[in-house]
Amino acid sequence: METKDQKKHRKKNSGPKAEKKKKRHLQDLQLGDEEDARKRNPKAFAVQSAVRMARSFHRTQDLKTKKHHIPVVDRTPLEPPPIVVVVMGPPKVGKSTLIQCLIRNFTRQKLTEIRGPVTIVSGKKRRLTIIECGCDINMMIDLAKVADLVLMLIDASFGFEMETFEFLNICQVHGFPKIMGVLTHLDSFKHNKQLKKTKKRLKHRFWTEVYPGAKLFYLSGMVHGEYQNQEIHNLGRFITVMKFRPLTWQTSHPYVLADRMEDLTNPEDIRTNIKCDRKVSLYGYLRGAHLKNKSQIHMPGVGDFAVSDISFLPDPCALPEQQKKRCLNEKEKLVYAPLSGVGGVLYDKDAVYVDLGGSHGFQDEVGPTHELVQSLISTHSTIDAKMASSRVTLFSDSKPLGSEDIDNQGLLMPKEEKQMDLKTGRMRRKAIFGDEDESGDSDDEENDEISEDDELENGSSDEEAEEEENAEMTDQYMAGKGVKRRKLEELEEDSEMDLPAFADSDDDLERSSAEEGEAEEADESSEEEDCTAGEGGISGSKAVGEGSKAGLSPANHQSDRVNLEKSLLMKKAALPTSDSGHCTAEEAFASEDESEESSSLGAEEEDSENEEAVRKKLSKPSQVSSGQKLGPRNLIDETSDIEDLLKEEEDYKEENNDSKETSGALKWKEDLSRKAAEAFLRQQQAAPNLRKLIYGTVAEDNEEEDGDTREELGGLFRVNQPDRECKHKADSLDCSRFLVEAPHDWDLEEVMNSIRDCFVTGKWEDDKDAAKVLAEDEELYGDFEDLETGDVHKGKSDSDTQNEEVEKEVKEEIDPNEEESAKKKHLDKKRKLKEMFDAEYDEGESTYFDDLKGEMQKQAQLNRAEFEDQDDEARVQYEGFRPGMYVRVEIENVPCEFVQNFDPHYPIILGGLGNSEGNVGYVQMRLKKHRWYKKILKSRDPIIFSVGWRRFQTIPLYYIEDHNGRQRLLKYTPQHMHCGAAFWGPITPQGTGFLAIQSVSGIMPDFRIAATGVVLDLDKSIKIVKKLKLTGFPYKIFKNTSFIKGMFNSALEVAKFEGAVIRTVSGIRGQIKKALRAPEGAFRASFEDKLLMSDIVFMRTWYPVSIPAFYNPVTSLLKAVGEKDTWSGMRTTGQLRLAHGVRLKANKDSLYKPILRQKKHFNSLHIPKALQKALPFKNKPKTQAKAGKVPKDRRRPAVIREPHERKILALLDALSTVHSQKMKKAKEQRHLHNKEHFRAKQKEEEEKLKRQKDLRKKLFRIQGQKERRNQKSSLKGAEGQLQ
Amino acid sequence: MATQANSLSYAGCNFLRQRLVLSTLSGRPVKIRKIRARDDNPGLRDFEASFIRLLDKITNGSRIEINQTGTTLYYQPGLLYGGSVEHDCSVLRGIGYYLESLLCLAPFMKHPLKIVLRGVTNDQVDPSVDVLKATALPLLKQFGIDGESFELKIVRRGMPPGGGGEVVFSCPVRKVLKPIQLTDPGKIKRIRGMAYSVRVSPQMANRIVDSARSILNKFIPDIYIYTDHMKGVNSGKSPGFGLSLVAETTSGTFLSAELASNPQGQGAAVLPEDLGRNCAWLLLEEIYRGGCVDSTNQSLALLLMTLGQQDVSKVLLGPLSPYTIEFLRHLKSFFQIMFKIETKPCGEELKGGDKVLMTCVGIGFSNLSKTLK
Repeated sequence: METKDQKKHRKKNSGPKAEKKKKRHLQDLQLGDEEDARKRNPKAFAVQSAVRMARSFHRTQDLKTKKHHIPVVDRTPLEPPPIVVVVMGPPKVGKSTLIQCLIRNFTRQKLTEIRGPVTIVSGKKRRLTIIECGCDINMMIDLAKVADLVLMLIDASFGFEMETFEFLNICQVHGFPKIMGVLTHLDSFKHNKQLKKTKKRLKHRFWTEVYPGAKLFYLSGMVHGEYQNQEIHNLGRFITVMKFRPLTWQTSHPYVLADRMEDLTNPEDIRTNIKCDRKVSLYGYLRGAHLKNKSQIHMPGVGDFAVSDISFLPDPCALPEQQKKRCLNEKEKLVYAPLSGVGGVLYDKDAVYVDLGGSHGFQDEVGPTHELVQSLISTHSTIDAKMASSRVTLFSDSKPLGSEDIDNQGLLMPKEEKQMDLKTGRMRRKAIFGDEDESGDSDDEENDEISEDDELENGSSDEEAEEEENAEMTDQYMAGKGVKRRKLEELEEDSEMDLPAFADSDDDLERSSAEEGEAEEADESSEEEDCTAGEGGISGSKAVGEGSKAGLSPANHQSDRVNLEKSLLMKKAALPTSDSGHCTAEEAFASEDESEESSSLGAEEEDSENEEAVRKKLSKPSQVSSGQKLGPRNLIDETSDIEDLLKEEEDYKEENNDSKETSGALKWKEDLSRKAAEAFLRQQQAAPNLRKLIYGTVAEDNEEEDGDTREELGGLFRVNQPDRECKHKADSLDCSRFLVEAPHDWDLEEVMNSIRDCFVTGKWEDDKDAAKVLAEDEELYGDFEDLETGDVHKGKSDSDTQNEEVEKEVKEEIDPNEEESAKKKHLDKKRKLKEMFDAEYDEGESTYFDDLKGEMQKQAQLNRAEFEDQDDEARVQYEGFRPGMYVRVEIENVPCEFVQNFDPHYPIILGGLGNSEGNVGYVQMRLKKHRWYKKILKSRDPIIFSVGWRRFQTIPLYYIEDHNGRQRLLKYTPQHMHCGAAFWGPITPQGTGFLAIQSVSGIMPDFRIAATGVVLDLDKSIKIVKKLKLTGFPYKIFKNTSFIKGMFNSALEVAKFEGAVIRTVSGIRGQIKKALRAPEGAFRASFEDKLLMSDIVFMRTWYPVSIPAFYNPVTSLLKAVGEKDTWSGMRTTGQLRLAHGVRLKANKDSLYKPILRQKKHFNSLHIPKALQKALPFKNKPKTQAKAGKVPKDRRRPAVIREPHERKILALLDALSTVHSQKMKKAKEQRHLHNKEHFRAKQKEEEEKLKRQKDLRKKLFRIQGQKERRNQKSSLKGAEGQLQ
Repeated sequence: MATQANSLSYAGCNFLRQRLVLSTLSGRPVKIRKIRARDDNPGLRDFEASFIRLLDKITNGSRIEINQTGTTLYYQPGLLYGGSVEHDCSVLRGIGYYLESLLCLAPFMKHPLKIVLRGVTNDQVDPSVDVLKATALPLLKQFGIDGESFELKIVRRGMPPGGGGEVVFSCPVRKVLKPIQLTDPGKIKRIRGMAYSVRVSPQMANRIVDSARSILNKFIPDIYIYTDHMKGVNSGKSPGFGLSLVAETTSGTFLSAELASNPQGQGAAVLPEDLGRNCAWLLLEEIYRGGCVDSTNQSLALLLMTLGQQDVSKVLLGPLSPYTIEFLRHLKSFFQIMFKIETKPCGEELKGGDKVLMTCVGIGFSNLSKTLK
């Protein structure tokens, strides 16, 4: 049996083995030497037909060009956010099982209940966020917009379900993410053939929907309620290596798929009013584009909000840092799903949450933060809360300062700020000394270094002290306080780091003060310990010890008080440096300086030696600081400060002046130069502070501008707000020109020289200077001969080679051998040049497409490189929060239902909106009813659109564009054609796809997507029109002119339509001429033919329709849990009528009735007399003309009788009546008599006839008898005779 | 929708144009209070009213509310419409006042803008039309706004106080702008200029040219100053003369300076020689300031950088003018965009004063008005 089963060996026809064999074979035939068939058989590859060759070339070029896409700048971040994998399918298809299996496959963890998105690390460079999508259409729409990859689960035993197709269509509209089909329930097939057939059928259907060749995965069966490991592993591999195409909407909009939600509302507010608007923070990876603070976002299912605050957090599910190994180790296989309760420690901006519920392993995993977390558990309020509650009073009369005051500024402290300011100090000094004194400069630098050194020492000693303290604290005191202390001290450290940057303005004083500072810092820290721990005794003694260690002998008792003050000040100063946003660093420095002053003031009492120095310091830095504070506010102020500064440098100035006076220059000129110097200084001063100057003072108008805001910030710090002078400025001239305040004197040589190099005539940079570049070229390429002119160019060579050449030249004529070698050299050079040219030419031959691509690539590189070296805090301010960051977004005024009815199964998406995408207007779109949707859509029926991030209900009007661009209203959408749709709603960029559904609630048996299309135009008004026919009737008809009435109501209306085209029903065209006076609204019109009175005249006009301004966002997420798919908005009139049982009243005129035709009466034919005369007699009408009426003269007058005559007449009448009666009777009698007589006569006649008949009968009988007899006799006779 | 919530509020009439222009581009309503509230003559001036009218003409659906005294203005922007428009500008300010804002808005219209502006073409306050034509138009071309229809034509010249000038400006529409990297200003290779005179002796222009050349010749020989003497109907209603100078560098940036004579009946008469000399000095000052963009066009360049795609744009500027500084603040409040500002000290090179390198990432603005066909 085994032998039977064995397959026959088949030779390899392809692959490396076959090739090798073929080669060997060829070698045997001695053909193998020719490696190329082209060489071996050149004829076969010769050009046979130029046309065919051209065609084939065309074809290849066409195919090549077809592959081109418009190149786009690659904006994917270096560390991309996790890929969103949406697992979608109808219920009971195995979605949750698949997710569980996938998570187990990647992380070796088993999640029992999965709620919301789960983020896992799937590889060295890839993370996945897996989320399940049910068959609620709201969820389907939302997730299709954020998905990168869709796993579409299909129950093979059942086949495709409507949800699958719906989801595919939703995906197509909102940018097509990668889609992978997964067939499940394949184990239900008993027969293999049936299974194969089903697979093939489903695959081909799937291909027609997605694209031919789309991946369809088969999960053959379940083992212990889970899919087979190998299959899941393969699926995981597919997901991890998948590549993605950028989708337009997703790359141009920032979005967050939130994986965590916290309610930040004040519990007291909730207690008083349970329905109050909430403040929530949402967490998630930022994807798509950069998100800016305070920008507009939309939460599908909730509504539009403005981001009230946003901050980035450490990545909770970070990629492994080093990638040494091929695969991840167990520690790096992270999983993060806070909504499902996975990921024990949650970090927040201001707090750390630890899930302690039954966890035993977390405490070891926490690592370095373990201590911190442990300490936190024991506290009852967060650090931030404590910070917020701490209040500091700086001066006795000022308001106590809380952290919220500082937070109110909404400022964050980036580190680079300090660097900048460090720079500032240097810049400033340079400006003062200028170019004249270089030694001073170097001195300063020295000082800088020294002070920095001091600082370092300071820092290190401080740190040591702190560490010691911390150790103590953790042992002795409650952990929470220790934590608080640490934070505070860290801040202090920061502030101290800042100190030297400012202090470097003084030389010898600096060192002493620094030393002092050292001592004081030690004191201060101990002091603080006092305040926080409240254990004065121990720490006090310790402070003494430390103070003595510093090498000074201060009277501790006195200095303590001062130091306490100082430490408070420091704390105060430190707070804004850490928390302030753009530019308060400068202010902070100023304040620190002040604090330092105060400290030195304290020291003054003891240190009489330093008194002078302190004085000096007092005077100078305070001015500087005030100058800086006021500086940006007013340029004039600044100049005055600088003038003060200048006074110190009077020596130099005076020298200058002297020189000028001696040279006998004009007075004003001297002033001018001073002014110029000032202006120069001011610019120098202003330049490094530019950032603060610009963004530090925002002149936004606050309602409580007058004084209130200043107090709000608590006495010491003032927001640089427009002052009274600024108020004056607020109404000044609006002009963009930058006037020259202090012009240079361009007659002076040095001033002129200062811009010498701006001109082409000036000195060039080394790399651009023509002479230098030429020289370099010569060095590179040596000498060459210009073949055209015959010139020989000789390059400069090193001295020895030059010598050699000289020698050669000398020898040249002598030695012919040398000549030859020179020739060879020359040829070599030419070849080299040719090669260079070739290379350049080949490279230079790049297409437009390549150029464009290169440009994009360059831009992408620049984008990446520009902010790479800056830390995140600063970067975030310039470019916004970049995709890939884990952010925390705070949103205010969220409806309470969102929190109360929060269901983690439903995705929460924060979709960033572009500029003016939050506004509303008229949106026009190209729309087509979906071919699978059963009904057509009606204008003015409310419908739900999904456009951009939004889902909303609105009332669209459908229209079609006529050939002349007129947009004509349609009552219904066409069956199989595109039409336009216009609605009033949120503005969304052109080119955005959309879909429409009739309702999002419940499950409809049919296909739910009613229409799809694309946004075409946005505007604030629309021009959709509907047809309107005005009718009128002629009341007077001349030849071609008629008077028409009934079309208009007034002469004014007619005037508006003068010249308009009108028409009769029978098709006679005409024009409106002028209004008539007589019946109001009548007009004269001329036609191309004479009208009849029975004609109806009409005019075609267009009437603009208005779109109802109805926009109703679908707030499905606000519905109660379990009812989220029951949102219903405005109903259509049809639905309303059905619900209320109101029947539509039909228009009587629209009803069908039996047609009744009236009998037509034709007028008699009238032939004119002239015509009659001309007619032949045959055709002439024969009927005589009626006798005309009797003329009057011939009519006889009426006779009126006399009574007597009347009597006679009556008698005669009576007599005649009698007579006539008698006559009548007689006539009747006679008639009767006649009748009788006639009858009698007839009878007589009959009898007579009868008699005659009988007689005749008799006669004829006799006659017959006689004849017979005669015959007989004659016969006899003849016989007889003959006998 | 919460349009009222994201409106911005300001006080004072200064920077009115910026606020309205940025409001139009960002779609955020703006409210300006206390417009000359303390003034003897409170409220909006004629030229501001004219500007608002102009905005109304080129937009569709804007809502403008001004209170009785004119001290409070509420502006809810519509969509930019464009098309063919004519506008009579107030003679209190030059056409440059209006044109500067139009340059910001014109590329983002629904239909290409073709506008005829009438008024004062050259005055002492605003950048003149000549200068804008010579500097702002090449700047816009750097951003990819280009084409046949992109031009600014001076039909008639009008000087204050009478005005009577006429300018035709047409600009194509773009959906997106290109990012720019203007970090190398190059070296000045030529200086061009335009000395104009209307309703005065044509000799005036020649005198201006001579004096200006005498200063500039010390730096570069390639100088050509055109004289433009307009006559008859083209000469407007008032007499005057002036000079505008433009320096072009090897890398195609333009720096300009200009000066005009005092309006008729105001101030002392100006000698053309003085005017020429002063203007040349102003140009040298501008060169001293340097940068890749003229000081008047700084804000325009920064705006177009902001409105670019989400790519890095860089530009090297001279010292920032107060107008630009305020503009940057406004950009921050309207678009939440901050520029990275680096000062480039002049150092040893003889190239004038300190420069400022401005860097930003565009907000990914796209023209929402343009119709998709």
